[in-house]
Amino acid sequence: MSMHVVVATDGSKQSLAAARHLRALAAPEALSAVTVLAVVRPLAAVSFVDELSGTGREDAASSVASFRDAAKASIDVIAAVFDGWGPKVHRKVRSGSPANEIIKVAEQVDAGLVVVASGGRGLSDRVLLGSTAQRVQQYAPCPVLVVRPAPKRRRA
Amino acid sequence: MADPAHVHDLASELDDDNLQRSISGWLLFFYVLGDVLGSGIYVLIGAVAAAVGGAFWLAFLAGVTVATLTGLAYAELVTKHPQAAGAALYVSKAFRRPFLTFIITICMLSATFAAAGSLATGFSSYFAQVWELPPPLLIAVIFVASLAVVNFIGITESVVANMVMTFVEVAGLAVVVLIGVVYVSRGEADFSVLVQFDTDGSPVFAVVAGAALAFFAMTGFENAANVAEETVDPSRNFPRALIGGMVGAGIIYVIVAMTAALTVPIDTLAESDAALLEVIKADIIPVPVGVMTTIFAIVAMVAITNTTLVALVTQSRILYGMAREDVVPGVFAKVHAARRSPWVALVFSALVVTTLLAVGHTLDAAGIGGSSGVVERLATVTVVFTLVIYALVIVAAFVLRRDERPADTFRAPTALLGIGIVGNAGLLVYVVVDDPTSLLWCAGLLALGLLLYVVERFFGRRGETRPPPGTARTTSTSTTSTGEEHR
Repeated sequence: MSMHVVVATDGSKQSLAAARHLRALAAPEALSAVTVLAVVRPLAAVSFVDELSGTGREDAASSVASFRDAAKASIDVIAAVFDGWGPKVHRKVRSGSPANEIIKVAEQVDAGLVVVASGGRGLSDRVLLGSTAQRVQQYAPCPVLVVRPAPKRRRA
Repeated sequence: MADPAHVHDLASELDDDNLQRSISGWLLFFYVLGDVLGSGIYVLIGAVAAAVGGAFWLAFLAGVTVATLTGLAYAELVTKHPQAAGAALYVSKAFRRPFLTFIITICMLSATFAAAGSLATGFSSYFAQVWELPPPLLIAVIFVASLAVVNFIGITESVVANMVMTFVEVAGLAVVVLIGVVYVSRGEADFSVLVQFDTDGSPVFAVVAGAALAFFAMTGFENAANVAEETVDPSRNFPRALIGGMVGAGIIYVIVAMTAALTVPIDTLAESDAALLEVIKADIIPVPVGVMTTIFAIVAMVAITNTTLVALVTQSRILYGMAREDVVPGVFAKVHAARRSPWVALVFSALVVTTLLAVGHTLDAAGIGGSSGVVERLATVTVVFTLVIYALVIVAAFVLRRDERPADTFRAPTALLGIGIVGNAGLLVYVVVDDPTSLLWCAGLLALGLLLYVVERFFGRRGETRPPPGTARTTSTSTTSTGEEHR
């Protein structure tokens, strides 16, 4: 019995940490495939922020804001985490509401696990509820691994 | 599943469903319609009526026509370059002059600042119809601040919410049209009003004056480029939805303008802060006026909110984009960790709009601002900037025709684009000659853009937001995560 894992990225470093976490704890033989998913939000102030890849500098001259390219660049960085690990890696860009799209993809590929990062640390995470990770863990058709940032120092 | 180790080298390909995009042709149509409808008719109809007289629907017709011709150029360019950057991208590709690109970007930014200020003031006028107590400036500032918060938290990507907003806007204008139909069918209408000019000078100038203001009512369509990248089959859907939305909005505008002229004395329209409400107050349909007034004021506020939200999104996108390119300080590219929103850009934009409002109201109160109020002043400033941008975009469309054309791009009729350039340039000359003080405001906003540029030139570099690939900073950040603790 093997399982398909969906790893979601919002372009944040925390999502890279989540991907590494999966690789650290799962046995590759148990997985049939990994789908790395990025969701572009067309109506948001900034549709996708890629903080993972170092590219983008070179096309600076051309004032091109291709959010889709930013999403693909982030996916490439995340997918590289699973290089040579075993399971086949799929890449997907979707657009819309991140939580909805993550859940839809999880249903489509009949996922056995969804991995998401929860970027919030501190006040905003506590005051402004309703983040993507929260909605995914509420409505996903399978178990969800939410990788949160380490607490600052004290408890580590 | 086959042996995974052998399969994984195929993994560099994106899945074939990576073309999944969320904005359909219909959705884009409603996005354009909603964005355009909110911006002008509720806010400016009184001012346009004052400029022209009973025939002010002609001014709307002229403004809509020039804007739609410009829309054709946008449609052509978007199908060639479906990225979110809009005018700045086209100008950059066409002329390859970084300075020109920078100026046009600052113009875009300034136009949205001024537009948001004008819209916020319009919002406060309608708000006063429901609750008169709070001072309008306070309401306008709270309005801008709350929209910034909404953008920070993230506006819903829900298709339904956007459709509902647009339907509410259309419904509000449909009520106005219905009143007109009832009025006409009773045989009370005096159609001679529709060809009446209330100015001393030539009717042509009156129409041009009105058209320049009515033009503001069409601005916003270019923000459709925001979602170009996520449009399904853009080369087919984008031209249809964009032009369809603009023509649709134009028809609604002309009919609403005619209705207002027929049902309300022009003087009353001209003096009202919330002119479309006068049509409701004319008490033509058998619904209590008080109830209708409140409902209609709320509809107007929804419409204005919808358009202002898009303006604020565009602002923060432009600032974010410029910061990523090191044109303005990198701090504007700062994105909140959990919300993925460019919070510095949002706060800054809200502050600039608030300052515009405060300065406008102060000048108004002191009686220095000239005859026109804050709404018109800022609308004029928006129009000056957008006319410059639109004219350049059409020129860019011509220039970029030198490039080889990908197979299925939309090509706008050349003659219409030519008329579009003349129209934009003509309106621009008129606005500047008619109201030279608006240039001071424009200069102020441009100076702000230059200031940011200078700050980046002299103090930049140190504050890079993005480390080069594989630097120590990237690795150290990820090792602080729980993901690494288990290793």
